[in-house]
This record gives sequence, structure tokens and C-alpha cells, in this order.
Amino acid sequence: MKTPVVITGLGTISALGHSVDQFWEALCNGESGIRELASLPLESLRVKIGAEVPAYEACDFFSSDEMRLMDRFSQFAVISAREAVADAGITAEELRDAACIIGTGCGGRVADDESFQRLYLQGKSRGHPLTVPLVMANAAASQVSMHLGITGPVFVIASACASSAHAVGQAMAMIRSGLVDVAIAGGTDAPFTYGTLKPWEALRVMSSDTCRPFSRDRSGMVLGEGAGAVVLESLEHAKKRGACIYAELAGCGMSADAGHITDPSSDGAAKAIKAALDDASMNPGDVDYVNAHGTGTKANDVSETQALHQVFGEHAARLMVSGTKSMHGHPLGAAGALELVATVLAIKSGIVPPTANFTEAGEGCDLDYVPNQAREKSIKGAVSNSFAFGGLNAVLAVRAMDSV
Amino acid sequence: MRQDIENSVIKLIAKQKSLNPSDITSESTLEALGVTSLEAITVVYDIEEKFDVEVPDDILDKLDTVHDIVDGVASLISEKE
Repeated sequence: MKTPVVITGLGTISALGHSVDQFWEALCNGESGIRELASLPLESLRVKIGAEVPAYEACDFFSSDEMRLMDRFSQFAVISAREAVADAGITAEELRDAACIIGTGCGGRVADDESFQRLYLQGKSRGHPLTVPLVMANAAASQVSMHLGITGPVFVIASACASSAHAVGQAMAMIRSGLVDVAIAGGTDAPFTYGTLKPWEALRVMSSDTCRPFSRDRSGMVLGEGAGAVVLESLEHAKKRGACIYAELAGCGMSADAGHITDPSSDGAAKAIKAALDDASMNPGDVDYVNAHGTGTKANDVSETQALHQVFGEHAARLMVSGTKSMHGHPLGAAGALELVATVLAIKSGIVPPTANFTEAGEGCDLDYVPNQAREKSIKGAVSNSFAFGGLNAVLAVRAMDSV
Repeated sequence: MRQDIENSVIKLIAKQKSLNPSDITSESTLEALGVTSLEAITVVYDIEEKFDVEVPDDILDKLDTVHDIVDGVASLISEKE
């Protein structure tokens, strides 16, 4: 019998606002955070839109000493982790031996970009000494541990768009194994620098109007930024401290396509979804809602739909499937965590967030994508899909507490 | 010239530590000011940029006071000239 693991705290910062309340309200209203980019010179960009965190001033959250040592992606991670911990009402003492696993796809791009500009553009001869501690991929996990006083196992997972789903899965495995009772897990990314955006443009997967997953006229993905974090604990630990439990994190399924470095494989995705259900001891019929990877690219949305058919068979037609990247964009290493928060809140509140910007179903996209309007519906079980470039897949299965 | 260097060094340390420049004197030690090694190399970086000098690694360990830094910078500048 696997140790039941539950979710007791949520934190987000995203294009939809600086808190979980703002995030969820926007999702329920089908409001998109995709806008014209504010932080970059538009005239030199082909793709001029993104899902940036609005009205973000680091000094609203950190002292100048703290800010200086944190790149934007680390700041987001700490903000989301602080919110999750406050939400869980967990004490510093209970956090001390916790695990903390933070995913990121990019690491600290802002300091990297500034460093390269100084060296290549301005012809300076020396790098800045803070560049390495700012850009290193583990900086976000380290900063969270320092801000929250976590001294247990702390590390980063970098599997592109699946980073935070992998992070949550690993944290769950640590709790199940008895290594820790409590874990903070999530992911973060802040990819809006010129040097990061240009190569993304070159991949020709980015939309220049908006993100409309599963629609016939979908035109690609829209990059986002932000962070998401959850507090996980063993059911026993949560009960003992009288915690408010959102839902059970029932399973995690992982797979690798072992195929192509960018092309998705429906078989690889299906294998991860099936593995998540098996791990959670859930039957296909136990799942009511799927928070799709749903990037809005031609390739993903058809491949993901095929994978859902493969795993769920006849039940696929009864699934509610939404692509919330239509609202929070695709914040790479933060995506899985933000989408897990959306999934958990859908279960907790009985409201399914929609796929925004939906026009009409695309070819090969024949499921119920909850177009444009949130839906009130009781959900007993759900899965959240994350499929990364490089063919690395991680799927989380969540179950309502009253059915535990 | 020396006074200019001292004022600049004090200003850079004050910025790094969020201190008032008037709280820092020539005799202040970096240790007493709470300057960590990462902050010290950041101050050195700022100095290199400001005075266009290259501070060798072996000098770093010998920098205890503001006075030491000012001496070092002054001699690097005179070597350059």
C-alpha cells in the first residue's frame, strides 16, 4: 500500500497575477494573460506577444540585498513557494527537514543575457562576479531553501516543459519512500530576454496572435513566465497537524519518447498517462478532467488528442480537456506546476477552467475541450499532462479527497 | 588622486552593503563591515570597471581594510601609467 500523499498548499505568480486567487479567478473567467510584450524592444522581434507577469516590481517582494542575488526566475520561485507555505499554514520547524525540488527549463536568463551583452556587444573584458550564482539552474531551488529555511534534500530538475511535473513526481516519491514527510515542489522560468526569444522564434512554433489550443486556426504556442509551487505531505502528517487538504496527489507517470528531439510522440505521451493512472490505481473511467499540455502547436494538439484516445478508449469522449496555456501562456519549467494548481482547484471547487480563444475544433482534435466558458462540474479524478521537448513526459494524477 | 580613489572605493562598498558612506573610513576592515567573499569580489569588479585596472587574484587575500584596497588600486594605476 503506497503512502497517500496530499496537497495542502498552493502558490503561483504568472501572467494572470501575483497570487493563486488572481490566477484562479482569471482561469474561471477565461481571461487570457497573453499581451504585447512590455519588457523587450518590439521592433526587432517577429513574435511580439507573450504571457508576462503583469506589473511586476521585484522590490515589492524583496529587499535590494535579496534582489541583487536573485535572477528573475529565482524571484518567481521564492514568491510562489512563500505563498504555498503560507497557504499550507506549515511552520518553519516542520519545513526544516522538508524536501524542495524546483524545476526550470532555462535557468537565469536575465543575468546571462546581460553578461553576453557586456562581453560581445560592449566589448568589455570581464564578466560580472554575480553572473554564475544568478544564472545557475539550481539557483531557484537554493534561494527557496534559503528563504524558507529548508535543510533537507533540495535540488533542481531540468526537463524543459516537463520540469515541474517531474519535480512534483519526485517529491511525491520521496514522501512515499519515507525519506521526508513534507516537500515543496514546483517550477519556475523567466525566458523573456532578447537572446532567449530569438532562438524560440527560429523554431517556428510561436504564434504571433494568440494561443488557441486544439482550434482549427491555432497558430502555435505563446511563451510565458512565472512560477508555481505546491506543498505536499503524507496524509498522516497533514491529518496530524490538522491541515486543510486540497486533494490527493495520487500518482505520477513518466516516459521518454526515445524518438525525436522536438517532434512529439503520441505513444510516449500515452505511456506516461497510462503510467500515472496505474500509479494512482485509477481506471480510465475514474478521470473526469484532463489539464492538457495543449501548447497550441500543430503537432502537440493532435498528438495529445491521439494519446488520450489511446489511454481512455470510449471514455475519452466523456473527458473534459482544457488547455489553460491559452491563458497563462507556456512558462516552460513552470507550466506543469501552474497546471497542477489549476487541476487541484478544479477538483476542490467543482469548476473546470476552459480552453480560452477557442474557435472551432481542429482536424484530429475531437474531444470536449471546454471551449471558452468554465463549467461547473464535480470532479473526482483528474490528470495534468506535461510533454517536453526532448520527448520527456510527466503526468500527474490527482484525486478528490472525499474519494480517498 | 588618492582621495578620489578612497571616496570611490568607500562609495562602492557602501552600495554593496547598503551602508551610509560616512560609516566607512580608511581604517574600516572588510570583516567588520560584514563584506562576504562574494561581495568583496563584486567590489573588486566594480573597482576594475571604474579605474580600468586588472586586480590579480593573489592580491585579493591581502585586502583587509579600505586602506589596503586604496593602496592596491593606486599602485595598479601608477603601474599602468
